[in-house]
Amino acid sequence: MSAEDEPAAEHEAPLIWVRIQRVVQAVETALLVFLLGVMVAIAVYQVLARNLFGGGLVWGTALVQVAMLWMTMVGASVAVGGNRHIKIDIVNRFGGAKLQAFASRATALFAAALCGALGWYSIDFIRWDYIDGVLAFANVPAWLCESVIPVVAFWMALRFVLQAIWPPPATDGERGEEFQA
Amino acid sequence: MIWAGIALLILMALLGAPLFVVVLAAAMLGFLAEGVDLSVVAIDLYAITQKPLLVSLPFFAFAGYLMAEANTSERLMAVAKALFGWMPAGLAVVGLVVCALFTALTGASGVTIVALGGLLLPMLASSGYGRNFSLGLVTSSGSLGLLVVPSVPLILYGIVAQQMNVGAPFTIQQLFIAGLGPTLLMVVLLSAYAIWRHGDLPRTPFDAAALWSALKAARWELPLPLVVLGGIYSGYFAISEAAVLTVAYVLIAEMLLYREIGLRALPGIVRQSMTMVGSILMILGTALAFTSYLVDVEVPQRLFAFLQEHISDKLTFLILLNLLLLALGAVLDVFSALVIMVPLLLPVAVGFGIHPIHFGIIFLANLEIGYFTPPIGINLFISSYRFNRPMLDLYVSCLPFMAVTLLALLLITYVPWFSLWFL
Repeated sequence: MSAEDEPAAEHEAPLIWVRIQRVVQAVETALLVFLLGVMVAIAVYQVLARNLFGGGLVWGTALVQVAMLWMTMVGASVAVGGNRHIKIDIVNRFGGAKLQAFASRATALFAAALCGALGWYSIDFIRWDYIDGVLAFANVPAWLCESVIPVVAFWMALRFVLQAIWPPPATDGERGEEFQA
Repeated sequence: MIWAGIALLILMALLGAPLFVVVLAAAMLGFLAEGVDLSVVAIDLYAITQKPLLVSLPFFAFAGYLMAEANTSERLMAVAKALFGWMPAGLAVVGLVVCALFTALTGASGVTIVALGGLLLPMLASSGYGRNFSLGLVTSSGSLGLLVVPSVPLILYGIVAQQMNVGAPFTIQQLFIAGLGPTLLMVVLLSAYAIWRHGDLPRTPFDAAALWSALKAARWELPLPLVVLGGIYSGYFAISEAAVLTVAYVLIAEMLLYREIGLRALPGIVRQSMTMVGSILMILGTALAFTSYLVDVEVPQRLFAFLQEHISDKLTFLILLNLLLLALGAVLDVFSALVIMVPLLLPVAVGFGIHPIHFGIIFLANLEIGYFTPPIGINLFISSYRFNRPMLDLYVSCLPFMAVTLLALLLITYVPWFSLWFL
């Protein structure tokens, strides 16, 4: 469903936030392309190296796996922005407009609180790895790889708060819909 | 306090809070009650970097989305039509086979209905198949390949189940083989139904020239299953390696050989597919935390002990399992159902003497049907939206197909041989 089909929301988000979101969207897409590109490039190199000269990068597999975590977090954030997270979609299908409006605000606040909590408690975990000087792979410290968790968690929390104020247009929750011409 | 938390959590889930948030809340609530530091949740989330098999998910998903964007579905259709079109109700059989294969590639994310349905539905209608029959076929086939390699839910089950480490150990390769028999059974039974309903339609004779030109058109894509399956089964490639080679192969085929996907289209495809993968892995990551809580407080054992008091035999358990999973499959999508319910139910099933592979097949076969179970199976909505038909039409048109697949499900559940013949 394209945005044009939606009736104008009752409370439009201010232009500045709409513009910021557009920039964010471009940055997110670039990040996803970059991360997937790194994963594919390194993983393909590993297969070739293993078969051609019997070895690959010692840290290659670990790097790919950390890139996947980063991609998961960024992808989850994109899903928040597009209101495309997997959910039980009963209210949006069968509920009235008032219930829908209430549900989208209440769940956004709930999600904001939980994402905030995730960010807050993950700092603890990262601090210990920082103090202990844990390495993720090669010379890369583990805290650097882990830092994506609080950064994106807080970012998602902020997004949810703003969504509670200006609810986004409902999507159908179908992951295939974007394939429509 | 805890009960208020649980009530809030259930309310939020029903109001449509993102599932990863609900699972996260459940895990945090549990650890809070146990007095465990909540940073453990982040540690468990980070643990998704410790599972080598998991990277095959983004790779297979990306490859699937690439093929959905290219004209792969049309070429696949042409090959299948040339191969099976001469049979009675040939086009319906073709539709079933192609949908199963395409779903295996794209992981039953509704892509099959959107990409193939638009192609298949007009073809079926113009060949004399009834409106409801065609609609039901397309809608119910949208999840038919869930048990076929390299379906993402199948791999995900393997990851979750192996992590539980209960029952007989098994390899992912064995799981892949196990899925073939039940899928074949479903396709055969559905084909039989199609032939019974529409076997009297005029047939198209077998045409070797058409087959040849279809094969030629699909020449760059046909070797792909060989690369993936051959590599995996020969043990030459690990599954994650086969997955990334699939990406490389599909990129080369669609971008350089067929030239159907331009460089400019790539960011959009990455964004779509990785948003899906991100939401799935986020649920998995939070579910890992939730699972470690459940295991800490021995919930699966307690559940088993409770059930054992009331259920004496495997058969009753299986019947209840089927009912529970069918209901679940209509409400939850396959990924959430997997990562939330498998850790709870697998130990119980093993306790009742069910093989972990057989359990996985039953689980996925149930969810496959849940996809088009009225009133809220997700495929019903996708079809209703895609083909612009009222929901009631879809309920009616899917019911016969549901009956046939339920029959297949009964056979799969109560005759383990279909899933375990090679062990």
